[in-house]
Amino acid sequence: MEIKILLGILISTIFINNYVLSQMLGLCPFLGVSKKLDSALGMGLAVIFVMVMASFFTYLIYKFILIPYDIVYLSTISFILVIAALVQLVEMVIQKVSPSLYQALGIFLPLITTNCAVLGVALLNINSGFITSKMGLLESMVQGLGAGLGFTLALLLMAGIRERLELADIPKNLKGLPITFITAGLLALAFLGFSGMKI
Amino acid sequence: MNTIIKPTLILTAVAFTAAFVLSHVEKITYPNILKQKKEKQDKALLLILPGYKIIKENKTEIDHAEFHYWIGEKEVEGKPVKAYAFIAASAGYGGPVESIVGVDEHNRILGISILNQTETPGLGARCMEIASQNTLFGKLMGVENGDDGNLSPWFQEQFSGLSLDSGINILKKGDWSPAMKNELMERNAITSITGATITGRAVIRSLDSGFIKLQKALSVELNSAGGQK
Amino acid sequence: MNYWSEFKKGIWAKNPILVIGIGMCPTLAVSTSVSNAFWMTLATTFVLTGSNLIVSLVKGFVPDHIRMPIFISIIATFVTVVELMLNAFQPGVFKALGIFIPLIVVNCIILGRAEEFASKNGIITSMLDGLGMGLGFGLTLSALAFVRESLGANKLFGLTLIPGMQPSTAMILAPGAFFTLGLMLWGMNVINSRKG
Repeated sequence: MEIKILLGILISTIFINNYVLSQMLGLCPFLGVSKKLDSALGMGLAVIFVMVMASFFTYLIYKFILIPYDIVYLSTISFILVIAALVQLVEMVIQKVSPSLYQALGIFLPLITTNCAVLGVALLNINSGFITSKMGLLESMVQGLGAGLGFTLALLLMAGIRERLELADIPKNLKGLPITFITAGLLALAFLGFSGMKI
Repeated sequence: MNTIIKPTLILTAVAFTAAFVLSHVEKITYPNILKQKKEKQDKALLLILPGYKIIKENKTEIDHAEFHYWIGEKEVEGKPVKAYAFIAASAGYGGPVESIVGVDEHNRILGISILNQTETPGLGARCMEIASQNTLFGKLMGVENGDDGNLSPWFQEQFSGLSLDSGINILKKGDWSPAMKNELMERNAITSITGATITGRAVIRSLDSGFIKLQKALSVELNSAGGQK
Repeated sequence: MNYWSEFKKGIWAKNPILVIGIGMCPTLAVSTSVSNAFWMTLATTFVLTGSNLIVSLVKGFVPDHIRMPIFISIIATFVTVVELMLNAFQPGVFKALGIFIPLIVVNCIILGRAEEFASKNGIITSMLDGLGMGLGFGLTLSALAFVRESLGANKLFGLTLIPGMQPSTAMILAPGAFFTLGLMLWGMNVINSRKG
């Protein structure tokens, strides 16, 4: 029974409520890093890790510090600082483990801090009412995982298409951001087909 | 050592300043926020229990969750008639949809008022939409087709009069119009928002589960009152 | 420094969304109605101007390698103030904008301007930069909202446009946002290439 709920959360965050194509979060890196498939994959994995860990820590902070001490209004500032710290950590790890990936991601790695999707999933975990549920922590982490997977999926789809677009003959004024947005719109239209899906 | 101490001290100072400023702003705004919430709830109660006087309000725990309900009473032809209100919530598309519901002694819905929802604007969020008779052009030309102040969202209004004894059905007939009223009453149904059946299902689910909890809460009351009504 | 040009640049020449390409998330998500666009602009401009002011004030005292957390804390404080104020005095707007109010914290425009401009410039110019950027952001947001609300919900400012017409709901959802912005960017390119 529990697995069914968790699977439901996973499927709905990856497909039905895809963070990029449906909820329009996480767009800056989506546009910036989706030019090549391998850097898109690297970014996606980093974001998944940050989202799961952020969901974990922000849930605990909300439940055991913010609510008991009645300082819920500090959630925005505490969440974003937690995320900033996590991204710093991920940066250091990637720099040690894979310097080439570090180079490829460039400025976009510290920019994961300002990725609306990461703060977004932390806030949405609270809004979904997981705090009152028995498996709240696990549900939040699964939602973080789903959000990251959905983000990565959108990123990979976009990167695949953009690699092809490089070779296509696009009118001068549509090149770059305009055609990218129109492509994203078509992807979003396709994903709309998932809405209303009963799990 | 200095490269760690100084930044840490500065960061701590910044954090303290932020917390200090925010706690003061919060103290100013908190009473307003509480007042808004209570006003909204009171206004909704008036709407769904029209003419009834609230004789009891209770928050109890049913099935490991908080259940908030009210008992109202009014006189009809010299005899006291009771009605009940409760808060119901169920998961919609973007999060829980919370409503306050009024039911009479015959388990008929007197009215519902959706208090909180985070549905998609343009789709599920239309559950809060008022079927305004006014158009933009009309407003600009100074033509008013009726006062929107007293209108209530059509999606919520259509629940009035439906029975909770049998299940509520969903029909997909597009936006509500007065012509649908008879058929919907006959089939104990509501018409869903185009493209947002999930929101309708969520409200119905919350009504069903809330109603069961109400009955449990009322039987607890009866028992504790020693069988006296 | 020319005050007017510092303010003006944010509106067209260095429009944050259309030229620099930052601050997209709230742009697409909040442009579902012109009223939402208005309040979001107000909130964002307040935070942007305020944080530019404070960052410019403290720029001498901020050690370089921890500037990011400090900027973020300053911005988050302003955002929380806006959150609390809206919740207390405009609950309808607070509900309509939802999580995008706290998400102002990660609006790249604010952190971007703090880093690029306010940390290197005077107080008055930083504030003007904030106001100009906010206005540019708001105009773009409103233009998008105008298109999306009228085509996607057959409404403007909550009032019906053409009675009885079924709107194209996809416009008010994600695809509409992407298409409209894409076409706007295309339009800008066309205008710029005609000029030059």
